[in-house]
Amino acid sequence: MNDLLAVLWIARKDLLHETRSKATTVATLFFSALTLVVLAFAIGQDERLLQDAASGALWVALAFAGVISAAQSYQADLEDGAFDQLLTTPVPRAAVYLGKLLANWLFMLVLGVMLLPVTLVLYGASLPASWPWLIATLALGTLGFALIAVFYAGLTANLRARESLLPVLMFPVVVPILLAAVRASGALIAADDLELAAGWLRLLVGFDLVYAVLCTAIYHFVVEE
Amino acid sequence: MEAESAIALRGLVRGYGRRAVLKRLDLEVTPGKVVALFGANGAGKTTLLRLLATRLRPSDGTASVFGHDVVRAGHEVRKRIATLAVFGGAYATLTAREHLRLDAALRERTALDPDDLLARVGLADSADALVRTYSSGMRKRLGLARLLAAGADLWLLDEPHAALDEAGQDLLDQLVREARARGVTVLMATHERSRSRRLADAALLLVDGRLQRSDGVPERA
Repeated sequence: MNDLLAVLWIARKDLLHETRSKATTVATLFFSALTLVVLAFAIGQDERLLQDAASGALWVALAFAGVISAAQSYQADLEDGAFDQLLTTPVPRAAVYLGKLLANWLFMLVLGVMLLPVTLVLYGASLPASWPWLIATLALGTLGFALIAVFYAGLTANLRARESLLPVLMFPVVVPILLAAVRASGALIAADDLELAAGWLRLLVGFDLVYAVLCTAIYHFVVEE
Repeated sequence: MEAESAIALRGLVRGYGRRAVLKRLDLEVTPGKVVALFGANGAGKTTLLRLLATRLRPSDGTASVFGHDVVRAGHEVRKRIATLAVFGGAYATLTAREHLRLDAALRERTALDPDDLLARVGLADSADALVRTYSSGMRKRLGLARLLAAGADLWLLDEPHAALDEAGQDLLDQLVREARARGVTVLMATHERSRSRRLADAALLLVDGRLQRSDGVPERA
């Protein structure tokens, strides 16, 4: 089996599900926009303070949206034994994980790219000259978040209290990713300081690599009972 | 290696928490046989099927499929099996055609024609409708098409007759007979005694976590 093709097919399945059901899109878009507006309102009129808080607000919105997205990503699988059926095909468990990861990551990345201009407008910041690096920060941060979220969502998928357990289990693990992403995007949005952002971006790459290897290697323990 | 057996269980135990569901099962199933598995609700029929499908790990003992241990060689086992879930095991937001394409890609059987398979199970007119618009019987028929598409050597069927109308049940029986003629082994957990007895080469009864041979069954299934 060409494992890469299997990854793409599984991601396609999850993305098709989302484009047709729109269950996650509606919930996350509404929730993220509301988070950005409420935080901006709470911070007030101070322009400097607003600009400094922009990256934090963006990642808070993305983090909560990411939890909803990850929890939803197994809902369709659990109906009528569809995931069981998928897991009896001769596809490595790692390919199943990477397929679900790819779908979840793309969803979060698109959401992040959509929320970025909204954040900049609401928080009175302008698009920095080094904006491609801001997109890279979004890509690396959402990848790290999705790596952990999809793994833990799989772990809790069969539990009755999955929606309350998922954030409790995953947030302590995902904190380093979020902090690095907030710092990197903050350096770019508030000061357009690529040098400062580069250190945090290197840290994000490191976290992503470690979590990617670890989660892919042990995912089979998550799906085999 | 136990190449002669399609299924081999040796002292197989599986429990949930402290409750043992399967208690030291021993069984050998010869390739090409159709075996019916009876038992009351909660007797452990689905647990046994899920174990053979590599979805559950034994608590003790071993289970192998065509000589491949379900724990140590799960990937090899999955190359040889196809399953039919009670409710069909389909995604509500995909069409029947998309399911067959997905399966074909994951099983590397891209030469199969989805239209032929769907026509065979009576879903030709619903090929591009989302599964969420299907009745439970249509979902089961899609499950049958996916079984045919898998090209597997062992079919693990969980209550295959459930939700199917009379014509659907006849179709299922016909497909099982054809599969047996091709050398496919079939293990089906069922409550449909009369049909299954006519169809099966052997019948087993799961009682209190132990396998008993049902009446009129040869020594070796």
